[in-house]
Amino acid sequence: MTNTFTARPDSATLDQFAAELNQVREQTMSKVGAPDAKYIRNVIRVQRTCEVLGRITIPLGFFNPLLWILGVVFLSLSKILNNMEIGHNVMHGQYDWMNDPNINSRNFDWDNAGDSNSWKRYHNHEHHTYTNVIGKDRDFGYGLLRLSNDTRWKPKNIWQFFTYLTLATFFEFGIAYHEVAGERIFMGKRRKKSDLPISRDQLKSDFFGKIGRQFFKDYVFWPLLCFPAFLYVLTGNLAANLIRNLWTNTIIFCGHFTEDIHTFKMSDCENETQGQWFYRQILGSSNLEGRRWFHILSGHLSCQVEHHLYPDVPAMHYPEMAKQVEAICNKYGVPYNTGSFPKQLFTVWKRIVRHSFPDSKPAKVANA
Amino acid sequence: MTSNASPNGLLSKSWAWLASSVVNSQSFSGYFEPLTQMLVPQWRADRIRSKITTVRHESADMYSLVIKPGKTFNDFLAGQYIELTVMKDGAWVSRFFSISSSPAYYRQTGLIEVSIRVQEKGRITPWLAKALKKGSIVNLTQAKGEFVLPNNTNDMLMIAGGSGITPLRSMLQQLTSSANQNKRLVTLMFYARSSEHFLFEKELKAMQADFSWLTVDFIDSDAVGFFTEAHLIQACPTASQRDLYICGPSPMITSVRNTLKEAGFNKDQIHYEFFGPEPMENANTGSANILFSKSNKQISVNEDNQQTLLDLAETENTNPVSGCRMGVCHQCICQKKSGVVFNQKTQQYSDTGHQEIQLCISVPVGDVVLDL
Repeated sequence: MTNTFTARPDSATLDQFAAELNQVREQTMSKVGAPDAKYIRNVIRVQRTCEVLGRITIPLGFFNPLLWILGVVFLSLSKILNNMEIGHNVMHGQYDWMNDPNINSRNFDWDNAGDSNSWKRYHNHEHHTYTNVIGKDRDFGYGLLRLSNDTRWKPKNIWQFFTYLTLATFFEFGIAYHEVAGERIFMGKRRKKSDLPISRDQLKSDFFGKIGRQFFKDYVFWPLLCFPAFLYVLTGNLAANLIRNLWTNTIIFCGHFTEDIHTFKMSDCENETQGQWFYRQILGSSNLEGRRWFHILSGHLSCQVEHHLYPDVPAMHYPEMAKQVEAICNKYGVPYNTGSFPKQLFTVWKRIVRHSFPDSKPAKVANA
Repeated sequence: MTSNASPNGLLSKSWAWLASSVVNSQSFSGYFEPLTQMLVPQWRADRIRSKITTVRHESADMYSLVIKPGKTFNDFLAGQYIELTVMKDGAWVSRFFSISSSPAYYRQTGLIEVSIRVQEKGRITPWLAKALKKGSIVNLTQAKGEFVLPNNTNDMLMIAGGSGITPLRSMLQQLTSSANQNKRLVTLMFYARSSEHFLFEKELKAMQADFSWLTVDFIDSDAVGFFTEAHLIQACPTASQRDLYICGPSPMITSVRNTLKEAGFNKDQIHYEFFGPEPMENANTGSANILFSKSNKQISVNEDNQQTLLDLAETENTNPVSGCRMGVCHQCICQKKSGVVFNQKTQQYSDTGHQEIQLCISVPVGDVVLDL
């Protein structure tokens, strides 16, 4: 587990490094325009078509179970595209320049139990600013898993692989709970000074409101609408949500918890220059290699490094930018973490298992 | 904006709730919008899809768009404006324009006209003239605005500055239409710099020749200066008994209003409209006003202000949402309704129309209206 900055280049070098990375951004942004608008509209078209087909085909499972399976595939695809390539990227403001009333970070709502405003509040700010900073980036282990020796081992970590599987199964609810800082809102673990811009009551009502509406849609509205096929629709929707949960969880875990990922202390990000910030973002993220369809289904989170460097650049440009970023990293001797999907996933599992047990070496002083 | 004319508010509310639950969208038509656009290009659920029939060049720096509004366009009142939205490089851009033709003309032909001055440094007005052709699609809102031809028979004095003639032309066209048996006296004082063309000059002269109740004074402001009380007495001695309608660039309106106030005019008889986008040059004329439209608060900053809109919004306690304060997280995103801002991250000036901006890295350049 690397959590040191011993190899960090000096700040003058990192300033140059930042200048080159900013140049990649500028080059890309100068190309952003009509093709991006066309692209995201096309992805939305495919997603809407999949959703409509899924909603129609699932109840037809009443006549032939194969249709149920086909419907579940369509609906899962719709939910995955909606959450990943559309929702996540739109909510990062990547398409705000389009000035479209339905495709912008303020109005977009995704097909997911997590309230989109709460998610933006937490994810875009805390996770993206304090990536892999122990104690600050709550996405690091989600408060459930021990993923590095920065945190002390507890007996509950013994069965954390099962905790992980459970989290993956119910991932959308985990996100919903986690992103409203559930433990703070519901358990009374209050910070002395609340920096939340909205009230606890508002957070709670957003939390329950969104879960309620999602529950109503998938488990009340559609099943009742297709009444004779009630059970087919209910189980079909459940299956589609499950598939989406497993997929999104897997992709997201591969972005920050692979083998060579670095973790940081809060003191690492005090008075950071842009170059140091870039450096930390690169060390805290890992990429997945794959074909174009894989990038799209992962919402381009397969290019997690580029996403963390340029969160508001339209994601379809990430694979192209990745080549340039990797070249720049090589030039400056900054480790660039990338690998195939199976390989990276395997190291994530290894990490979860390894930290299920106490460290064999004498425990390091915690980085708090 | 589309009018929410549903007879049953509860029904439309439930419908919106159903859309937000079942398709996670603000409306069902919004959900299907990208699909609908495959069949009907540039269709917008919240706008009136309309077609350009002619782009007419009025002078070197003015042109008129003749538009056939879509079927859902309601009638309008002479003097009102519309918001026109077009697609430019994948992005929607919007501008407000007064309708320069009359409702009578619309009833006859089904057409409306907007007349546009090319803002030299503008991004949109020079582009529009080239990009739009017969058959091009534009999206409109319903007509809006309180600066309208009054529903009475009082005599009128109109004072126009430059392209501020457009809503007044609509009113005059309406008054001279055959349906309107106008008897009231109308005087138009039309100011323009000598280098400029008096827009609609021929048409206005013809109107004057045909209708004895109308007097038009073309005033070259380079030669005789700007509006004074002396001009007023000369052009319209009975001004104090008339309703006054003023339209032009904002400094002109302010100056005319002050002159009239000093001359003892009654506030109620003066009607005015700040016309078109604020000119960019205005940015250098001293202080800028930031209006927070939802909380109805206003703050004034001087021209060398470097504070971001987020800081300004916080000093005014308008409760902005904030996050990283470095332009990464997009939490402080807010709709700018009008005005120019400078983006510290991209080092670029914004467009003047409405768009989403990141408050934490935006510095106002001139007057700005925020939806906050």
